[in-house]
Amino acid sequence: MSHGPSAPPRAPGGAPGHHEPYVAVFTDGSARQTELRDIISRYPDKRAALLPALWMVQQDRGWISEDAMREVGDQLGCTAAYVKGVVTFYTMYHQHPVGKHFIQVCTTSPCLCAGADDVVKAFLEHTGCKELGLTSPDGKYSVIEVECLGACGFATPVQINEDCVENVTPAKVPEILAGLRD
Amino acid sequence: MADVRMINLTIEGRPVTVPDGTTILEAAKTAGILVPHYCYHPGLPVAGVCRMCLVEVEKMPKLAPSCATNVGEGQVVHVYSEKALEARKGVLELLLINHPLDCPICDQAGECELQDYTFQEGRTDSRYREPKRFDPMEDFGGDVLYVTNRCILCTRCVRFMDDVHQEPVLCVAERGDRATIGKAPDADLTQPWAANVIDLCPVGALVSKDFLNKARAWELDRTASVCTGCSQGCNNVLESRDNVIVRMKPRSNEDVNHFYLCDAGRLDYRWMNRPDRVEVPKIRMHDVLSPVDWETAYDEAAKLLKGKRAFVVASPSLSNEALFLLKRVITQTGGEGVFRCETGFEAPLPGVPDLALRADRAPNVYGAELLGFQRHDINPLAGLKQGDVLVLAGETLPGLDLSATTRASAIIVIGTVHVDGIPTPSVVLPIANVAEEEGTFTNLRGRVQRFLQAKAAPGYVRPSWYAFADLATAVGANSDDMNLPSVIFSALAQSEPAFAGLSYDTIGLRGGLIAGATAGAH
Repeated sequence: MSHGPSAPPRAPGGAPGHHEPYVAVFTDGSARQTELRDIISRYPDKRAALLPALWMVQQDRGWISEDAMREVGDQLGCTAAYVKGVVTFYTMYHQHPVGKHFIQVCTTSPCLCAGADDVVKAFLEHTGCKELGLTSPDGKYSVIEVECLGACGFATPVQINEDCVENVTPAKVPEILAGLRD
Repeated sequence: MADVRMINLTIEGRPVTVPDGTTILEAAKTAGILVPHYCYHPGLPVAGVCRMCLVEVEKMPKLAPSCATNVGEGQVVHVYSEKALEARKGVLELLLINHPLDCPICDQAGECELQDYTFQEGRTDSRYREPKRFDPMEDFGGDVLYVTNRCILCTRCVRFMDDVHQEPVLCVAERGDRATIGKAPDADLTQPWAANVIDLCPVGALVSKDFLNKARAWELDRTASVCTGCSQGCNNVLESRDNVIVRMKPRSNEDVNHFYLCDAGRLDYRWMNRPDRVEVPKIRMHDVLSPVDWETAYDEAAKLLKGKRAFVVASPSLSNEALFLLKRVITQTGGEGVFRCETGFEAPLPGVPDLALRADRAPNVYGAELLGFQRHDINPLAGLKQGDVLVLAGETLPGLDLSATTRASAIIVIGTVHVDGIPTPSVVLPIANVAEEEGTFTNLRGRVQRFLQAKAAPGYVRPSWYAFADLATAVGANSDDMNLPSVIFSALAQSEPAFAGLSYDTIGLRGGLIAGATAGAH
């Protein structure tokens, strides 16, 4: 199914498309709109705000749907096709819904030597995710492998959404998961 | 026009002089050297992404992409030097890494630039032993199927949709070895000119659904023709196999359609193969149409027309030559000639000036007007007087009120098929359709363009000019010497002031403008 460890996560059952109706992010008078306008004002070209705009959508909606591509395109005066090209270029934009807690385990060489494989297995087991890239049935977790998180001295590091946990071992996994807010 | 500085350079030892600003690739073409290339296309903005057109230019430190490098005075260019060949061989090897090499089942095989250049300059075998990338095909809508695995990401299709069609629905999605051509959400290539991406695609990644698995490229016979879909008169190539037209492709003509053909035009060829044709001349005997030989049919027609007015409803899809001889019949009998034209929406191609699918959906509307036929779209039969002989020339009058036909003393049908909804005609003369004969059309800007015969006509069918020449002779306007389309056209040019000075020799395959024609609207 996937090309490699950083392939985009897919929804359970692998059937993207059946989602809740899209709610616009940059509605008139919203804080997000103000924020976006502020970013746009810093550049000569509206399109320069494309990456931050996409981050805002991902923070608010969890992933970037095709409707979102259209909305962002409309906001920045470019076509949905152009936005799609950018969204798909960067692997950190989610093209499918992911779990509320997006768990990225570093499996580059030093971490692998330190047992990152077992950490991955422990996360899969305790979150209920069937395999890498799939979301757990309760929609709370997705686990993927990532390349170097830049914390080789504290192997194995795990990034959960914006936060990084260091020196993770399989034994610590249940505790880490329990500490995540719902 | 300001003087353009001319640049002298040497390409592969051949001296070349081209205007300043020409690219090395285009300059090489004038020297008869085709530098291999994928992303470059003369109708599209230069991208310089495929690196296939690398050439060695003396005194330049690195190889130069010839599609994006302008010529310079005194340059010495080597297209086939060891360094250039080595580089292009490397590019080809990389392009082929994920290419499935499914040529035996690929529609592009035989007209594929990846095949051609690999054969010319590529490695004989692959050094790549790892599994190849696999992506499913995607239906891009319209007539276009995207076979992802074959794509080499030259982005010609993306640039065509962005800059020429100006409906930007394609993009490059993903990156690196996962990159593919992506389609915008909720939009597709169901656009009036989008199928041109199939012709632009240098490999088999964008293929025609209509032509899918129908024939191999090398089995096709190709004939220069003119599209009959509308009054624009786009130049095309009729591709036939075993006397059946299987595909229509654009033929480039900078004065008319550049490199393009609209979807409606390119898919409108099946009627040329229709089997329900009139194949023998027929005359009415005891209220039944009976096959007869041509001479008997002409005699019968001449007998009916004697002393009667011929009211001719001609099709604007008949050639200038046919209409010219038909006019002789009208003049001889003191009759009248009218025509009607189907109309539809107009669909311009925004990136090309004065190119559109025109509202008038027939190729020779202007020609018919110039030859004195009156246009009556709503009720072409209004002028039919009691006792006239109604001549339906290539016209079947679909969807019209045909009650007026009872006013005619007799009906002569000259066409490819029988006409429904009229009293039994007295004479039926079978003529060839556009794919089966030679002739010229006059497009809406007054450009007279030749079309050639692509397939054999069925049965006893004769070319329309042949049938009309004999008919004119039969009614007393001697046209015995009108025995070739070129001869008829010369006679036409002599007697019709608008066509003065034109001949098959001068119009060639790019067409010639009639007197007084302007580039603008007429």
